[in-house]
Amino acid sequence: MSSEKIVEVTDVKMAYRRTRHRVSSLKQTAIETIKRRMEYEEFFALNGVSFEIARGETVSVIGRNGAGKSTLLKVVARVLPPTSGRVIVRGHVAPMIELGAGFNPELTGAENIMLYGTLLGRSVQQMKSRIEAIGDWAGLTSHLDVPIRAYSSGMVARLAFATATDETPDLLLIDEILSVGDEDFREKSAARTVEMMNSGCAVLLVSHDLEAVKKMSSRAIYLENGAPKVFGTPEEVVQAYLADVHH
Amino acid sequence: MQVYDSAVKQTPVISQLKAIYASRGLLRLLIARDLTVRYKRSVIGIWWSLLNPLFTTAVMFYVFNTVFKSRLPTGQSFLPYLLSGVLLMTLFNQGLTMGADSVASGAGVLTKVYVRPEIFALSSTISSAINFFIGLIPLTAVLLISGQTPTWKFPLIVIVVGCMTLFSTGLALLLAIAYINFDDSRSLITIFLMALQYMTPVFYPISVLGPHTKRVILLNPLTSYLQVFRDVFGANAVATFHEWLMMGGSAIALFLIGFVVFLRQWPKVVAKL
Repeated sequence: MSSEKIVEVTDVKMAYRRTRHRVSSLKQTAIETIKRRMEYEEFFALNGVSFEIARGETVSVIGRNGAGKSTLLKVVARVLPPTSGRVIVRGHVAPMIELGAGFNPELTGAENIMLYGTLLGRSVQQMKSRIEAIGDWAGLTSHLDVPIRAYSSGMVARLAFATATDETPDLLLIDEILSVGDEDFREKSAARTVEMMNSGCAVLLVSHDLEAVKKMSSRAIYLENGAPKVFGTPEEVVQAYLADVHH
Repeated sequence: MQVYDSAVKQTPVISQLKAIYASRGLLRLLIARDLTVRYKRSVIGIWWSLLNPLFTTAVMFYVFNTVFKSRLPTGQSFLPYLLSGVLLMTLFNQGLTMGADSVASGAGVLTKVYVRPEIFALSSTISSAINFFIGLIPLTAVLLISGQTPTWKFPLIVIVVGCMTLFSTGLALLLAIAYINFDDSRSLITIFLMALQYMTPVFYPISVLGPHTKRVILLNPLTSYLQVFRDVFGANAVATFHEWLMMGGSAIALFLIGFVVFLRQWPKVVAKL
């Protein structure tokens, strides 16, 4: 089963059509259209990206800010539909991108665990049975009945992390290896992330931590302006990237 | 195992409706969130939502009672006529604007995790419907005070509310696309909603209208919702078969149009969130 392809990305392009003068109001659009001045230019956030990830593999994506790394994660996470090309993802996806999406300050810790976990695609029954374990792991058992607006930001981050990582998915999408909370929890959360990455799922990792990329990934992609510049072993990709950065 | 393939087109409406049905657990949690956030944490709780329609009704009653009271057919009473109009329009306005907003300002969730955005619109319109049912309590009181009794058609209210939920969900999905595309569409929509409000017989009886105006007002689908609701609730209007048909037809038509347009437009606008 280890050769099973979890992710297949084939020649994916992500184009944004933007107007030369930024037009975002109806009034402006009407005026510009009448004057026939609407000029669009295509801008490719992703331009011909292809790769595969098998179960148990980690593929890392590196590159400068704005190279399209986050866009790539969102395309694989199914949030952004690609303009052309094809993305196939088999199985359950855990996106560790900006944790805590949908957290509501007025809801209690337990209610937020339920809502967030369900938003991540888990069933209501499953979440109900996991509330206590998640709260316990986050060290927030005694705070679960309190609206999270009374939490500190570190507590909210712990709750989000504990919920997001409660289940081992088929595909893990990571935007920087997170370590959240205080010193104890930092170690605990970093350890859990590594443990998940090694649990046999497929991993797509976006990171600026080049040492971690070299240590953890099977292959790496160096993205520049949305296009893969170098694709290969982590060592050669990191080397190519560093060579570019230092010039 | 669930497989995502971006090359498979998402258009078939039935499969999308099935996907929404499969997410009903999430839908229920979102409705619970909407209601909790609105009520549980505020001091006067659930009564808060009734303050606005009750106050509006009180003011309108004070101003218009002498003008319109005598223009209603015998057996009909102005206060329940007015309150039922205000409550139903509140249901429409609230569902529509909250539904559109929940999608258009859902960037925090919709660009982070994969969820069908229609579920957010639906949760808003359904929680507005639950709100509406709570509003029936003071309406019943007003009805009894006015010397009327609810008719046997009372349970048919569920049909009115169901139709209104579909109608406002469809419209909310269209509105969400407009909101995302154009920053200034909100102010235009506000003007449009106000116009629609006056083109609906909320506080005036249809009988005061001239023949031409009356024809226009009867073309407004919202008029049929009001007529049917007033008929089934306290017999403060007589709904024709044509009005029932218009209510049901506009609900299904608008829901489907909104849904299909949304399915096509969403992939194009999601990057703008």
